[in-house]
Amino acid sequence: MISVKNLSHSYSHDDKLAVNNISFEIEKGETFGFLGPSGAGKSTTQGILTGLLKQQEGEVIVAGYNVKKVQNERFNKIGVSFEQSNVYSKLTAKENLDYYAKLFDVPTRDSMELLHLVGLDGKENDRAGEFSKGMKHRLTFARSMLNNPELWFLDEPTTGLDPAIAATIKDIIREQAAKGTTSFLTTHNMYIADELCDRVAFIIDGEIKLIDTPKNLKLQYGRKLIDIEYIENGKVVKETLKTVTEEDRRRIGEIVNNHDIQTMHSKEATLEEIFIQVTGRELV
Amino acid sequence: MKLLSSYFKEMKIAARGFYFYIEIFFAVILLVILLVAVNEKSVSKQKEFLYYDMPEAFKEFVIQRQIDKGALKLIEPTEFKMKAIGFEVKNEETGEVETYNFDAEIISLRTYQEYDLDTGELNKTAYIADNEEDMIRLAYQEQKIGATVAVNDQGERSFRYYNQGYETDKFVNLLYILHNKTPDVLAAAVESQEVTKLGDIQTLNNRENLVPVMVVFMGSLMGFFIVMAYIYLDKDEGVIRAFAVTPSSIWKYLLTKTMVIMTTVVVSSSIITIPVMGLQPNYFLFYLLLIISTFAFASLGLFISSFFDTISKAFGALYIIMIAMMIPAFSYYIPSFDPVWLRFFPTYPLLQSMKEIIMINTDLGYVLTYSAVFLGGGVLLFVLANFRFKKTLTV
Repeated sequence: MISVKNLSHSYSHDDKLAVNNISFEIEKGETFGFLGPSGAGKSTTQGILTGLLKQQEGEVIVAGYNVKKVQNERFNKIGVSFEQSNVYSKLTAKENLDYYAKLFDVPTRDSMELLHLVGLDGKENDRAGEFSKGMKHRLTFARSMLNNPELWFLDEPTTGLDPAIAATIKDIIREQAAKGTTSFLTTHNMYIADELCDRVAFIIDGEIKLIDTPKNLKLQYGRKLIDIEYIENGKVVKETLKTVTEEDRRRIGEIVNNHDIQTMHSKEATLEEIFIQVTGRELV
Repeated sequence: MKLLSSYFKEMKIAARGFYFYIEIFFAVILLVILLVAVNEKSVSKQKEFLYYDMPEAFKEFVIQRQIDKGALKLIEPTEFKMKAIGFEVKNEETGEVETYNFDAEIISLRTYQEYDLDTGELNKTAYIADNEEDMIRLAYQEQKIGATVAVNDQGERSFRYYNQGYETDKFVNLLYILHNKTPDVLAAAVESQEVTKLGDIQTLNNRENLVPVMVVFMGSLMGFFIVMAYIYLDKDEGVIRAFAVTPSSIWKYLLTKTMVIMTTVVVSSSIITIPVMGLQPNYFLFYLLLIISTFAFASLGLFISSFFDTISKAFGALYIIMIAMMIPAFSYYIPSFDPVWLRFFPTYPLLQSMKEIIMINTDLGYVLTYSAVFLGGGVLLFVLANFRFKKTLTV
């Protein structure tokens, strides 16, 4: 569904590259996570894939279209949910969706059904300008589903949403994936990526460091950890130790033999910890 | 269909925003000003101060003769609060300088209105002083022309003028010519000259004469400014990015913006023109030129806005263009100021075309030629704006 080969981009048209020679492919029906901290090149890549940024170097095929050629009809197959809500504040929620629906050449979904789906039923006649940030975000998200997209670009789909609404949005993404929609999910939230993505790519400083499934990454880079809380000199002390290193295993035995254990849990390494391990950078 | 849908959406947004109402409100204000504050005919505010240096009986005889002819009309006396003042008066012919000093006081003067005998229109208001010093200090304080009217040895009237010093040579020479013959001889000389008009010239009254300026500036300048404001509002809301990921084309987005501007300009211009001009203008030509010129100036606004991210960055260019577009108004009101370079400003032919349209004897060729020029220019600017926006709209 998406094929990117040797893509590079510079905003200043010089050797300061926001995206540096990246290549990847996304299969139909796959949910692909593009993960990295702010300024890593995620939005630049998505901008080029969606046609919002002009492609400079490399080859990009999206939904069967070469993005270098201007072919507006490709947007009949594509849906884009932006990180920054961008709806007409003077139009109501329903008017916003109805207006954009008329811009497509393919059958579109009913605006009321979409509003219901994202929990905005009852707000259809309220102007978007009166909405909270989270409500605007949901309206932007709903708009991206108007044309039943085959390829769905999701930029930080749950950022700024309360946990209940975020869970609803994640369920919708899972449902669409089950229906065969291909998703390109851009985020710096590794938990979302872990929950939703079939494969993830780590991007930093414009370069992709690795691409794999979350499960493989955990197998390859993850280390079993044990959190231990124990009493030492009357105070509670907490340590996280790896079960795979000799030194940590010795330390675990020493703590168990000599101290009063309060709690002891084993845990898997998270994608975030793997990201830090692989890139040496934190996701901020 | 997409175009129409976008147009209705834009009209809905415009109707819910304040720019639309600003233009309508502004048109209503201008109409009220035209109807209430602007007289159809000129009201002369010219004033002169006179002192008759002749025997009282002869002075009254001269004035009464003018009253009998209908050239003068006595009205209520006028009181002037005079300040304590000192100044010098130089005689241009002899070079003599005379110094005057006055105390503060109130002076009451006989006041006459002087009318044109042919048209019956008010020419000026004349104040008759009792002595020459009063006349001179009034002319000085009020910054108006003053004159002493005397009778020479041959029984002819002579005039000694007190000018402010800044009058043009042309004006001063005119005063010399005016009085080198008696008024009767001068009038006879004027009448003996045969003047033939080259065409059936129709003129506009003061109120009508303002309509082209208001319509052109409401249409062109407001259209130019407001289309930029709409673009930056959309950029601010980010909705352009959302539009850019739909199958619709950018040119449709841009055209709907200009269509909204054209609609508001047609409404606001009609508010001004129809009540003032009635059925006199050729409304087909009027709306044709109005829509085409608004399209051209809105396209210019789109083109300029494609170079700047925010309206604050665009403000310098916006300001310079708006001022430049206003300059031809000087030529419109001061026909003697008509340099060739000014004719290259688009508002120059636009003003002249609008004036032609609202007159009965419209120069059809002139209007249609410039309508075609504006259409061509508008299309070219629109194409350029579309090309620019494809590159920059979503950044």
